[in-house]
Amino acid sequence: MNKIKLLAISSATALMFTFGMSAMAYDGTNCKSDGVCWEAKPGFPNEIKGSKFDPKHSAKELEKQNVANNAMEERNAKRVENFKKTGKWVY
Amino acid sequence: MNIRTRGKSYLSVATSAALLGSVVGLLASGSVFANKNLVELQKSEANWVMQGKNYSANHFSTATQVNKSNVKDLEPAWSFSTGALSGHEGAPLVVGDIMYIHSPYPNNTFAVSLKEPGKILWEHKPKQDPAARAVACCDVVNRGLAYWPGDSKTPAMIVKSQLDGNVVALNAKTGEVYWKVETADISVGQTQTAAPFVMNDLVVQGSSGAELGVRGYLTAFDMHTGEMVWRWYATGPDSEIGLDKDFNSANPHYGQKDLGTKTWEGDAWKIGGGTNWGWYAYDPDLNMFYYGSGNPAPWNETMRPGDNKWTMTIWGRDADTGLAKFGYQKTPHDEWDYAGVNVMMLSEQKTADGKMHKLLTHPDRNGIVYTLDRENGDLISANKMDETANWVKKVDLKTGLPIRDPEFSTSMGNRSHDICPSAMGFHNQGMDSYDPNKELFFLGINHLCMDWEPYMLPYRAGQFFVGANVWTYPGPKGDRQKGIGSGQVKAYNAITGKFAWEKMEKFAVWGGTTATAGDLVFYGTLDGFIKARDTDTGKLLWKFRLPSGAVGHPMTYTHDGVQYVAIYYGVGGWPAVGLVFDLNDPSAGLGAVGAFKELAHYTQMGGGVIVFSLDGQSPFTKDVNLGEYEN
Repeated sequence: MNKIKLLAISSATALMFTFGMSAMAYDGTNCKSDGVCWEAKPGFPNEIKGSKFDPKHSAKELEKQNVANNAMEERNAKRVENFKKTGKWVY
Repeated sequence: MNIRTRGKSYLSVATSAALLGSVVGLLASGSVFANKNLVELQKSEANWVMQGKNYSANHFSTATQVNKSNVKDLEPAWSFSTGALSGHEGAPLVVGDIMYIHSPYPNNTFAVSLKEPGKILWEHKPKQDPAARAVACCDVVNRGLAYWPGDSKTPAMIVKSQLDGNVVALNAKTGEVYWKVETADISVGQTQTAAPFVMNDLVVQGSSGAELGVRGYLTAFDMHTGEMVWRWYATGPDSEIGLDKDFNSANPHYGQKDLGTKTWEGDAWKIGGGTNWGWYAYDPDLNMFYYGSGNPAPWNETMRPGDNKWTMTIWGRDADTGLAKFGYQKTPHDEWDYAGVNVMMLSEQKTADGKMHKLLTHPDRNGIVYTLDRENGDLISANKMDETANWVKKVDLKTGLPIRDPEFSTSMGNRSHDICPSAMGFHNQGMDSYDPNKELFFLGINHLCMDWEPYMLPYRAGQFFVGANVWTYPGPKGDRQKGIGSGQVKAYNAITGKFAWEKMEKFAVWGGTTATAGDLVFYGTLDGFIKARDTDTGKLLWKFRLPSGAVGHPMTYTHDGVQYVAIYYGVGGWPAVGLVFDLNDPSAGLGAVGAFKELAHYTQMGGGVIVFSLDGQSPFTKDVNLGEYEN
């Protein structure tokens, strides 16, 4: 029984070292600074980059929303400019 | 007047604020007239000029012609079919002699006469790219219209949002398009389901699509020209989120600077969600408006380490510049899709310190009802909407932090069981009501819990980016086997934290409530009833079987001396996606299908509005020859 307990404690300690300062039971109240209170759960890394949980996002895909938003804003601005000049809305 | 800005990383917050300050100065003189008109219009019980009824979004009518002694005599007066199926969320607007009716996709709009009810004065039927339907997360709903009263330069307008991402301003008298702008691109997953909201001479439009990794944003347009005045995001650099220089100065422990990037790993904030497809409230005295940003993306929490600010946040922003005065994140690092976009109801009440405060009360998806001082964001109370909420032990009022119960957390490789509330929340998009005389909020509640199992997936712009399988079912007070008992209605006092009464419902009360000084609270049900309860006791006093289930909120107005109560019928929305799309897998529909498997035994699709009055009186009962053919 004691051996099993020891093994469990050793495993938990090993996990802590493996993944840094992981919280044993993340309850969201151990804050590093104002508004920064997240902690990795036991068995999970503080950073996922390079880990098995790394989603390996494509930078190009991540930029697509920004590109779309800028394009819409530019088209809208031209419509407004025309409306102010002519009094007619052209879509 | 060619001054326009938006959140740009090269603009410092201070620069933005200074620039916008000058914009406001120029706009102010022209905006006073239109806004005053809107304030006056909402005071009259003849009108219902915005989805919340008034800027306080209290859904409370002082009309008493229909009251608890005679509500049993309510009968249909007239009805109108929208010709559309799917979920009919929101409510019609009434301004003077016209009712403005909207529909879900294809987002048709009708102006209908109240003098000859049902007669269509004009209609607007937009041509949309049908591909928009494929990127709508939860049926093709729309939450309603906005009204701007016009001024000496520009006619009164109805403003609508379309699923395909356009915001359209229509001449309120003729229905002609006055201006039309793009605010969402379906090719990257952005859609629009939220109702626009008018304050001063601006209309603000929220965003949808967090289930496709859409980074949430809010945009303001000048009603006169359609020109974008500002756009602020939920995540990213402060200069793009729009934080005022004194942001959270009263509550620095909520967090202040640079957290929109620091609380994310790498560039995950660019696809981090925080869309805002819910409701707004506005305080003209403070010139501040309030709304909530939604869930972080993806749902799989393991893929986004950090607190994920500023998703899940109650925002208090300046109405002219849009700059944030305060932001309170309710569910840091969400693990359950508790999207924080729900209704914000404004009240003035005496708190525990014995002083009157300007308050904001928000029943959140996460099962907590929050009440804040809306001047500075101070947290006044945070109580469980139902004691079965188990992901959180309590909210620490000093720190504002939820103390989570790790037993109900979620993570990769695990299927977590019996989490309450479910992803659909104990409260979702329903607009609720507040009786200022009784100091009671009437909450339409979901009683739903879930199992949750995350999975990994790549981000591809325009594709679903959820990352969790969900199984939803009625909570402990309902009948999980039979799939009923998934709703509640409660009367809540935000100061004492106590419930005056509570009643169970067969299905989630999805659409919200409307209260009146006639001691009544009205609401619709998914299985197709409109009901009225006594606001003092919760006793059921009246109900009527609708042609289809209701997911919108009731409204009331008085026309030619008669008080009417109206509600959309049209089952759909997230709870009824199984019925709308004929789905059977219990985890389909983002987990909703299993929870509402019984719904198809009670109702089917259809869409329209039904208007009730005492004894069904209407212009037609006053004059049976009204509208008849005459030689």
